[in-house]
Amino acid sequence: MSQQSEEIIGKAYDARLMRRLLAYARPYATGFALAFVLLMAVAGIELVRPYVIKLAIDDHLSGPPQWGVAMAPERVPDAVPARVQVTWNEQVLVAAHYLPDRFDTDQPGIDVIHVADHPDAQEAFRRQNAAQVGRLAMLLVAASAVAFGLNYGQNILLHHLGQNIVLTIRGDLFSHLQRMDLAFFDRNPVGRLVTRLTNDTENLSHMYSHVLVSLFKDVLMLVGIVVVMFRLNAELALVSMTTLPLIAVATVMFRTKARAAYRRVRTALARINAELNENITGMRIVQVFNREQHKYTEFEATNKEYYRAGVGEMMVYAVFRPLTEFVGTLALALLVWYGGLRVLGGRMPFGLVYAFINYVDMFFGPINALTEKYNTLQAAMASSERIFQLLDTPAKVEDAPDAVSLEKVEGRIEFKNVWFAYNGEDWVLRDVSFTIEPGETVAFVGATGAGKTSIISLINRFYDVQRGEILLDGVNVKRLRLEDLRRSIATVLQDVFLFTGDIRDNIRLGNEEISDERIAEVARLVNADYFIRRLPNGYDEPVTERGSTLSAGQRQLLAFARALAFDPAILVLDEATSNIDTETEMLIQDALPRLIAGRTTIVVAHRLSTVQHADKIIVLHKGKIREIGSHQELLAKRGFYYDLYRLQYEKKEAGVASGASGPRITSLG
Amino acid sequence: MKRFKHLRGFLRKHLWRYALGVLCLLAVDVLQLIIPRLLANVTDSLAYGQLTPAGLKRHVFLLLGLASAIAAGRFLWRIFINGAARKADFCLRNKLFAHLEKLPASYFNHHKTGDLMAHATNDIPAVRQAMGQGLMLFVDAIFMTAATLFALLRTVPLKLAAVSLLPFPFLAAGTALLSRLAGIRHRRVHEAFARLTDRAQENISGIRVVKSFAQERAEITRFVATARENVAENMGLTRVWGLMEPMATLASLVGFALVLGFGGAMIIRGEISLGDFVACTSYLAMLTWPMIAMGWVINVVQRGFAGLDRLNAILDEVPEVRDEPGAIDLPAALGDIEVRNLTFRYAPDLPPALDGVSFHLRPGEILAVVGRTGCGKSTLMGILTRQYNPPRGTVFIDGIDILDISLHSLRSHIGLAPQEAFLFSTSIAHNISFGDGTYGRDQIAAAAEMAQVKDDIEAFPDGFDTVVGERGVTLSGGQRQRVCIARALIRNPAILLLDDCLSAVDTQTEARILAQLREYMKGRTCVISSHRISAVKHADHIIVLDDGKLVEQGTHESLLAAGGLYADMYERQLLEEELESRA
Repeated sequence: MSQQSEEIIGKAYDARLMRRLLAYARPYATGFALAFVLLMAVAGIELVRPYVIKLAIDDHLSGPPQWGVAMAPERVPDAVPARVQVTWNEQVLVAAHYLPDRFDTDQPGIDVIHVADHPDAQEAFRRQNAAQVGRLAMLLVAASAVAFGLNYGQNILLHHLGQNIVLTIRGDLFSHLQRMDLAFFDRNPVGRLVTRLTNDTENLSHMYSHVLVSLFKDVLMLVGIVVVMFRLNAELALVSMTTLPLIAVATVMFRTKARAAYRRVRTALARINAELNENITGMRIVQVFNREQHKYTEFEATNKEYYRAGVGEMMVYAVFRPLTEFVGTLALALLVWYGGLRVLGGRMPFGLVYAFINYVDMFFGPINALTEKYNTLQAAMASSERIFQLLDTPAKVEDAPDAVSLEKVEGRIEFKNVWFAYNGEDWVLRDVSFTIEPGETVAFVGATGAGKTSIISLINRFYDVQRGEILLDGVNVKRLRLEDLRRSIATVLQDVFLFTGDIRDNIRLGNEEISDERIAEVARLVNADYFIRRLPNGYDEPVTERGSTLSAGQRQLLAFARALAFDPAILVLDEATSNIDTETEMLIQDALPRLIAGRTTIVVAHRLSTVQHADKIIVLHKGKIREIGSHQELLAKRGFYYDLYRLQYEKKEAGVASGASGPRITSLG
Repeated sequence: MKRFKHLRGFLRKHLWRYALGVLCLLAVDVLQLIIPRLLANVTDSLAYGQLTPAGLKRHVFLLLGLASAIAAGRFLWRIFINGAARKADFCLRNKLFAHLEKLPASYFNHHKTGDLMAHATNDIPAVRQAMGQGLMLFVDAIFMTAATLFALLRTVPLKLAAVSLLPFPFLAAGTALLSRLAGIRHRRVHEAFARLTDRAQENISGIRVVKSFAQERAEITRFVATARENVAENMGLTRVWGLMEPMATLASLVGFALVLGFGGAMIIRGEISLGDFVACTSYLAMLTWPMIAMGWVINVVQRGFAGLDRLNAILDEVPEVRDEPGAIDLPAALGDIEVRNLTFRYAPDLPPALDGVSFHLRPGEILAVVGRTGCGKSTLMGILTRQYNPPRGTVFIDGIDILDISLHSLRSHIGLAPQEAFLFSTSIAHNISFGDGTYGRDQIAAAAEMAQVKDDIEAFPDGFDTVVGERGVTLSGGQRQRVCIARALIRNPAILLLDDCLSAVDTQTEARILAQLREYMKGRTCVISSHRISAVKHADHIIVLDDGKLVEQGTHESLLAAGGLYADMYERQLLEEELESRA
């Protein structure tokens, strides 16, 4: 159960984790820079809107000015924008309030007129205003179209970057897992590792695509709005910001509360999942003991805690979200009051206040959005902590830096005083020594737990031995490249593991060097061809649900084909024939000579019929080698092997209906 | 509406929360609509110089009053609506659990624990979101659109309003189209994610094969290819979904430009006031987000419905094993067990797991069942505890067909120590009493003592309070099995079933424990199965099962004399023991 590790909940923001997460973004620096530029552009355009409105209201929508100043075109000061100039009586007429304060209207050739007294001047201003408003509207439409394109582009780009980063992390994590030793997989439940690869990385993807994107944008917007506000009017900008300390205090409080609430929810959720899992697994016991009511009460209590935690979290947001929005309106009210007084006092144009009202609205949007992302950020941090923890777990069985390649494997295997334990001093193999010559067939015999399967794991170097050494063709397996070592060995296990794909994929196992012809050939050699061709799609027949549609015998034949396809120097049959029907057994017996010809073959079998023909039989008992010799030699010895043989032999004698499967040593121990 | 049948009780009880929540939500919306009007008033009076400082103050206070009311309303609807959704989550989870408790063993044989867990971890939250956020957004979006339109049309001259709304039909059509597309692509993203999970699961489960064939690199290629597909599907969704917000912004900006162009001209011509213009732009801004929200609503509700449908599939499952109509209670059981020609298959197309088995066990007798793994021992135990239904007229307890006895009363007379020693991750004491508070500490200790596990337990630092499992101590297989026996003994049952429940201890220990239990077994009907004959040879009656058939029966002596399967197994086991005992 992964309950404990799921409960690791770090901070919502952890600089060390963030640095590592950002390191994954580094290869995409150009992309992020481009996205940044696009965002700037979008934010810029969004900021333009209130400004355009301000221009429209102050310059063009407040009606013709009270006073106009008429002059010759060349005398108009540069500071007066062209859009507020109108032509009147072959002169340029400018609204008085656009002229600089030091502009002297008492010069000759400059007339100050009361616009209301001149209908034609009024009309000229109206026409000019209408034209200018139209122009601004067109500008806005153009800007909107550009913003649309940029916004969409930026959206796609940032998602693309985020997805690719997560792809990299997934790939790294998966590759890392492939390097881990079997002891690691013995320790870690499958579900936990799958969660790391899928859900935890998915949380990161949410962070890169949703949080990072909007974080960028929101922060940029905030900065942009502040800059624009100060440039427009520092006084109003300061008034708008007076509520910021309130927001700051509320945010700090929110962060503490939200983190505690999140932690409580996650803990409760982990507990409820663990309990549910346990109860589903043990449901029959609950039912047989009539404890349904009791277990229900227990579950309800856990569920209640989860409910309460959820309500607690909801409360945090229920208080904080309306609060920040209230503070936003408070800022608005302050602005209206302060700005209103200034407008009333004639010290400020109304459009300026109006623009600020818009900006304040825009200012609080990103602040609210930031708090909304808080949960995603927390989840991503917790997930990244778990992911990095896994990535930082070193692989114990790895290629040595000076690992050597084997060009051609002869198949000579030697164990020299090997001691091995899965944990501590719990020796599974004690001082085991033997030699298998190339091309020999050797059988390991012994009760369950004698150490047979461990020997096979060690030949494959799934684990490293504590003492002694294992040599392949005279080279210590620790010095061989793992891939070379394992490529030279093919193992057929009792439980055949089939992958999703078709029959062909399951023989080839992703090795594209194995041609379709070769697959058909090996299938023929192991007598699997017959049943495969009778499948509706032959070699293309899909394998579903781990091959549950195939019989145990058919699966075993596929495993033999798989082993042969890789043309190994060493063939290992680990109880490979102990779970199949007579018919398949006969097919395998028939194919066996072809399979083992020219290979070192190691058999761990429970059928003495297979074992009998081995060149050498090694008898293991409680981790030690007790006897080595041929069938006849060992029988003559009247030792362990003799007893084992008698066990089966006598059973046969008794003529007991033991099914078609024949005598087995499986039942030992 | 059939979809909601399992939620009907909840809805009836908590509808008031939704009603109040929606009321608060609507109140907030209405108040929010007043703000632009208020700002328009201020604007107009300011622009036309009609505002006094006192009037300004009044407006500001009004604004603050509105803001407070809105904040309160927002707080309340969150409590009511999100609270109700949380309640729904709570109720659904309880309901799911209660229903799972009713489903028989066969259901759990066919449904993986992981899949059942997924319903609790994915589907229930999806329903919760639809019933909380989804519902809220839905009500809000509909009402805000309607109300904003209403306010716009009422307060703003029709011509201007009409012009400003021009882009919105396009936006609505676009949103509808995009959310339909997004729904499809969302499903594809989910499927791609499921494939990724499967691929990871398969690789890790088969890591031994991968490693032994040195296929790590091919596996990485395959995994990355699947992860890439996942990226492609995600990008496919983004290409659709990513249009939504820019599109809404575009519509709003174009609306704005239209208002500016046409409205501006109207102001200049004196047809409308500057205030009308300001109000119009504010309303326009308010129309944008319901359009975006609608897209989300569709998404959230779609997922909620899908989750609810999957939950309904479980909740609609009728348990195969349940009290038959007219089932009777057995107030006290004598412990007479009769099995008459019992043939049982796990599924109609499977070979029989028990084939024509008959025996009669009188109260107080001890029956031993022996046979190889898979011979049908555990199936027999499963039927006696009615985890599976036998055919009618084949199994009788105290002369009554087992199918006619209420499950609860049948099981209250049975103590079972199962083959798989399953314990819960609570304290050992709690595991033995199975949470039944009527058992005192001394009774628990006595049961542990009879099961020969008391000394082991007391050797733990926390004794009987030691927690079992990952968070506590790891018990050895033998200790677990003995705790399971204590759990069966403490119930003082009329019928005791020991299903190969000492396989993890050695032969001598098993024999010793069973010998100790002989006193306890007196006066109880016992069925003991074991793969070791030495453990059960003292039974009154022994039956030998092979491939579901009863092949031999008798006493230890008579069976040995018969020289059949039993005698053979016994001899082999003696030999094995001897072999095993060698150092």
